[in-house]
Amino acid sequence: MKALLAALAVALAGPAFLWKATDGFQALTAEDARRVAAMRDRPMVPDIRLRAMSGEVIGLPSADRKVTMVEFIYTTCPTICQSAGTDLARVRDGLVEKGLGDEVRILSISFDPETDGPHQLSAYGESHGADGRIWTITRPDVDALPRLLRAFGVVVIPDRFGGYQHNAALHVVDPQGRLSAILDTDDITGALGAAKRASQ
Amino acid sequence: MIGARILTAGLIFSLCLGFRDFFESNPVSHVLIQLPLLAWCGALLAQPAINLEAEWNRGGVVALLIALFGITFWMLPRSIDAALFSPAMEVAKFISLPLCVGAPLAIGWARAHPLLRGFLKAQAVSMLGVMAFLYTHAPVRICNAYLVDDQLRLGYAFLFTAIAVVVLWVAPLFVGSREFHQMRSRSVEAG
Amino acid sequence: MTDRACEPQPGAVKFTMLLAGIVLLLMMVFGLIMRAAQGNLIELDPTLFYQIMTAHGAGMVGTAGLTGAAILWFFVGRYVPLLPGVYYAFLGLFLFGVILILGGIFIGGYGGGWTFLFPLPAMSGGAWDAGAAASFMVGYTAIGVGFLLYYLEVGRKLIVAYGGIGGALAWPLAFGGGRQEDAPPPTVVAAMATTIFNTIGIVVGAAVLVCSLVNLLAPGFAVDALLAKNMIYFFGHVFINASIYMAVIAVYEIIPQYTGREWKTTRVFAIAWSAVLLFVMAVYPHHLLQDTVMPGWALVMGQVISYLSGIPLLAVTAFSLLVYLRGSKVRWDLASALLVLGVAGWSVGSIPAIIDAMISVNKLMHNTQWVPGHFHIYLILGEVAMSFGFMAWLVKEARKTAMTGLDRAAFAVYLLGGAGFTIMFLVSGALSVPRRWAVHAPEWYLQDRVATGFAMLVILGTLFFVATYARGLMRRRAD
Ligand code: HEM
Ligand SMILES: [Cu+2]
Repeated sequence: MKALLAALAVALAGPAFLWKATDGFQALTAEDARRVAAMRDRPMVPDIRLRAMSGEVIGLPSADRKVTMVEFIYTTCPTICQSAGTDLARVRDGLVEKGLGDEVRILSISFDPETDGPHQLSAYGESHGADGRIWTITRPDVDALPRLLRAFGVVVIPDRFGGYQHNAALHVVDPQGRLSAILDTDDITGALGAAKRASQ
Repeated sequence: MIGARILTAGLIFSLCLGFRDFFESNPVSHVLIQLPLLAWCGALLAQPAINLEAEWNRGGVVALLIALFGITFWMLPRSIDAALFSPAMEVAKFISLPLCVGAPLAIGWARAHPLLRGFLKAQAVSMLGVMAFLYTHAPVRICNAYLVDDQLRLGYAFLFTAIAVVVLWVAPLFVGSREFHQMRSRSVEAG
Repeated sequence: MTDRACEPQPGAVKFTMLLAGIVLLLMMVFGLIMRAAQGNLIELDPTLFYQIMTAHGAGMVGTAGLTGAAILWFFVGRYVPLLPGVYYAFLGLFLFGVILILGGIFIGGYGGGWTFLFPLPAMSGGAWDAGAAASFMVGYTAIGVGFLLYYLEVGRKLIVAYGGIGGALAWPLAFGGGRQEDAPPPTVVAAMATTIFNTIGIVVGAAVLVCSLVNLLAPGFAVDALLAKNMIYFFGHVFINASIYMAVIAVYEIIPQYTGREWKTTRVFAIAWSAVLLFVMAVYPHHLLQDTVMPGWALVMGQVISYLSGIPLLAVTAFSLLVYLRGSKVRWDLASALLVLGVAGWSVGSIPAIIDAMISVNKLMHNTQWVPGHFHIYLILGEVAMSFGFMAWLVKEARKTAMTGLDRAAFAVYLLGGAGFTIMFLVSGALSVPRRWAVHAPEWYLQDRVATGFAMLVILGTLFFVATYARGLMRRRAD
């Protein structure tokens, strides 16, 4: 009897604990976890200066109360960052189409500012059609980088071939500077919906 | 004996702690060496408690259930990432694996019915197989802290572990138990 | 739980056989409906045809496994104490699985065949949703877990009592200087061998089931289609073979009651069973001879072993049966007649299989009705006949020692129906009629219709066997 009760207690407590540890079995990986957390907690992103490819200095929470879509890249990336660039061009076109061009801006932020000088940023922008109006390519100060990545939950690790592997995603920051959604870069419809929601 | 056991456990534990960076530098040694070693510490320390007759642990079911949930938690890629990025989780790992996985596993196993043991062994093999499948076939990176190639390597390591475990558990079945052969030779002498 | 020696649970086994008899009847009616639809005798929506085909395949294979398992449990219980709880858990999980499978098919609309070939369950083109396929597969998994428990119990008891797997397979006699007197009885050897290969088969099946389930829920996890096909056919081939190898235990145990001579584990018998153990697992590539991407050695192995696998089986079981029968005065009754028919049907059924396993023939015939032809012979006239024989024996009356006229008639009807029905499949196969087609061309109607008639005879015979069995059970209860 005692054994049965104890087993029952563990059999109930165990799944409850796992439920809690996985946000209701929604997030088994760290990547899903940060996406769930962003939706739920809407954490503030740090106040950071970025240098855009035009040379101009811009703030991360937007000064003119725009929604900001953020992705992290390094311009010498041969794979993911290139296809993400194509995705972002489509997001940008979608924003224009939906008439959200004035309320939303897109920032590609390099997490490799030592390699990615103004020159590299412009080249990357040019090759993906980022003209600096809605979408621009930027880089942070080297010392601000860790704080920035940590706040967004982005992890960058060397890939043994001189490049990096990193969790690529589109991060939506609302006008108040809160991280309110994280999506796959190719989820264009999802991104446009999230932008619309954040702008209201 | 107890002293030796505590010493071994301590040694293994400090090994896991001292060579933390080495073990955690890639997922294969992290998941398939460091974690089991930590659990083993707990199993060693739990030895004196193994023969404790406790009513609540009839058949070892409760202890095994605790271990099962502990293992499940540490099989979540999310937990592995968290241990690398959050010091609190790393501390929790070093405490919970001996206490919530290794020790209950040893205590429960000692009491478990042979049928339950067989079932758990089959379950362990199939879970290793499933993990192998998941890690070799995942369309995405599962751990943010590890490279895709390492993820693939971990998948194959799961597969090899599954094969090794099968061989380890099945090989002895071919020859029969020592009791059987003693009995047989006695009956031959008598006859 | 304690390991008390137990009776071989006659009650539970008898109940299982009754259940199996009823399910067999129902599934045969499904078969009849399919055959009649192929002959354009009735109107059947193809969607429903494929649901019925899935239910017929899964239901028949499952029932064959169930009857084999009941027979094995019953007779192995004579030699080692088996835990009754395990059998009930097995039966419970089996029935639970059946409910999920039937729900997946007839409520969810799953019609992807009992072989759930990847990626069909996930790509129905709208015929069924993922939930239906998942229900079907979870049902399989439940049955698999039940079988796993079952074999764990049988396996561990045999290993303890007979000195390891080697001892239970009579290896000392087969490959060493062991004496025949020390060798375990045939039932033990057969039970140990089937326990091993069916456990392996089920584990492989469970692995591919889980992978398919993951694929169903998260399509990003793509399974390698060729590997999945290999695993599924390995599982399917091993499982259906195991059902026969388990059922044949009834022959080893019951026939001696008629011949008065014990069935002995000889050296040849022991070697043959060890060979069967390997062949059953190595022969499955003969299902994949048309997959040109398969490595050549695997296909050649499948072909060569197909020839060989006939030998241990025919030589040992069928040949010794002949020897035992010739040397003694057997009083024929329904039980003995059906058991002997079972061995004969099994042997005959393997001949078209061997023909089909020739790569050159296979290229022409494998997706024709030749294949259902071969397996229906060894199932209707083999495994199922053995099961009916076991059922007849279970309710045999001590006083009655001969076949009544009705027994004779039913036996003849079943035999005639079974032979005719399966021959029509073979004829269709030889004429290149494809298998698994809901709608047939008018040129094929003739065989389809003749087969439909024969199928009715099979059902008639079965009805008699199951009714006799049910009546026997009730009479015994009343006594
Ligand atoms: C009166 C008895 C039976 C009839 C009328 C019957 C009829 C059929 C028919 C028409 C098919 C489809 C053939 C095709 O592919 O074109 C079939 C398939 C099959 N039958 Fe039977 N059958 C009978 C008995 C059995 C028995 C006793 C078993 C096994 C114990 C069995 C197992 C199977 C299996 C495994 C398939 C393959 C299903 C598939 O291709 O997915 N059948 N049967
Ligand atoms: Cu990249």
